[in-house]
Amino acid sequence: MLSWSLLELTFRVAVVATVVNIPLALAVSWLLVKTRAPGRLIVDVLVSLPLAVPPIAIGFFLLLLLGREGPIGGLTHALLGADIVFTWYAAVAASAVVSFPLMARATMVAMAGVDERLEMSARSLGAGPWRVFFTITVPLASKGILAGVLLGFVRAISEFGATITVAGNIAGKTQTLPLALYSAVILRDDSTALLLTAIAIAIAVATLVVHNWLLAKTPRVEAA
Amino acid sequence: MTVMTSPVAQIAIRKRFPQFTLDCDVTFEAGATSVFGPSGSGKTTLLNCIAGLTRPDSGRIIVMGTTLFSASGRKVVPPEKRRFGYVFQSSALFPNMNVRKNILYGYHLTPEGQRTTDPDQLFDLFDLTRMLDRSVDTLSGGERQRVALARALATSPRLLLLDEPLASLDVSFKGAIIRYLKRVRQELETPMIYVSHSVSEVVALAEEMLVLSEGRPVAQGPPSEVLVRPDVGTMADYGALENLLDATVVERRSEQGLSVIDVGGVELAAPEIDAGPGDLLTVSVRAGDIILTLDVPTRISAQNILPGRIAVIHAQGPRVIAHVDVGVVLVVELTPRAVSDLALREGTQVYLIVKSNSVLALDALDGGSGNR
Repeated sequence: MLSWSLLELTFRVAVVATVVNIPLALAVSWLLVKTRAPGRLIVDVLVSLPLAVPPIAIGFFLLLLLGREGPIGGLTHALLGADIVFTWYAAVAASAVVSFPLMARATMVAMAGVDERLEMSARSLGAGPWRVFFTITVPLASKGILAGVLLGFVRAISEFGATITVAGNIAGKTQTLPLALYSAVILRDDSTALLLTAIAIAIAVATLVVHNWLLAKTPRVEAA
Repeated sequence: MTVMTSPVAQIAIRKRFPQFTLDCDVTFEAGATSVFGPSGSGKTTLLNCIAGLTRPDSGRIIVMGTTLFSASGRKVVPPEKRRFGYVFQSSALFPNMNVRKNILYGYHLTPEGQRTTDPDQLFDLFDLTRMLDRSVDTLSGGERQRVALARALATSPRLLLLDEPLASLDVSFKGAIIRYLKRVRQELETPMIYVSHSVSEVVALAEEMLVLSEGRPVAQGPPSEVLVRPDVGTMADYGALENLLDATVVERRSEQGLSVIDVGGVELAAPEIDAGPGDLLTVSVRAGDIILTLDVPTRISAQNILPGRIAVIHAQGPRVIAHVDVGVVLVVELTPRAVSDLALREGTQVYLIVKSNSVLALDALDGGSGNR
């Protein structure tokens, strides 16, 4: 059951989900940490919501959204004649939604650690908000942001509940490693299940080691 | 000096915080104004409002004729458009950039036509040339503050906002930086607003001072008048009260081990300084090292005997501070006993005796002149 295409699909889904989430996590973190925009409390709750609800509920919600009867799925069907559900795009959407809170939370913590006086100083030196964000805030929070990206990535690669709901478990098409593991367990194929478990653990351990190393190297950034 | 057509700043603002409210209606007329007051009196908040980093709840801020903030007119000029050089108390250097990149950050953002300072000159002036490629994490407190000053000046600011910029500086750099700040004010006509606790600094730099207490202005005027007030005096740091004076070297008398310097038209003998005639430097004379007498002293070892008149005299806790005009104004520290024994008051003609050894050259900068 183990094939390179399984691993390739697994990584492709997780990487795309993570990359899609990065700008969104930066934008939401900036909004929540560095501005006094109204409605921050609601955004803050929405950011964490996927952590708190059952992944199958997320999958079901995505099914409603992306299905042919749903607003997004209906649009792509009408315009492109293409469906999203039960494709790898649906797996990406599921992984992205479920892993977003982890990435965004870590990014928020990293950005909150950047001393506001440094940003104010940059403003007074003539830098507009965008320039301050990209030359001061993001570089100084970069290790924490990268740690958040890795955390999001391991969560994305492990995603199961939402994925199976909205993308199904189609070998070679939407079957990522956790779904293949589920099939192996159901089919009592213990040797495959053990192998897949070992691979999942190896990926997680490698990623978490880098994640923890990055965080250990991130002191709170004070105004020097 | 040109005649200012409008005041440096007209500020009438209110900013409420949970713990305290800044409620300030002041006009800054002078080119160099010092803002004075105990911690928590709103000095930094006032600077932040002028810089545009804190938005007042109401009121208006007009700097050099330009409205930067008006609550009624719904106008807010963002800080990056104000072109004010702000030096924070914490220096706030960017840890992700080396010294050079810190200083050039704002320089590159200044429109080319508006650049009036040359970074190389700033590197030289603040003695930073050797450390340009260093990470700012490796700098001492004084070095950081020098970088912060250079970084703010590199933007050719229209106004300088300084929050205790000399607090963490080594004494050897204070003189040069004070003199540089004066030059910025005079030659480039850049006005400055300067937060400080140090009476010596205020006397050396400020033409006018504003005293804040619990978010409200309580006194404003020339330092010699404002510092006299007993309520202001208790806030001031008289710790090591010294006269910080601009001086020009007149001649060097190596055989006598001394240099003659000119301080505002008054010649003083000082320990030999490694500088030639015409060189500029800053000297410090401690207020407690000056002896005051009513008669012309004769047969005395001290080199400097300066006739003058007491301009201001006021009690400051256990001591008395006199401002004596000898051509320049020198601050002299006296005991209450001396004041009553000699019947000193404003207008009294006196002589000041300054030992040459009490005249300390502060400069370690400016082309290597000055003794270290």
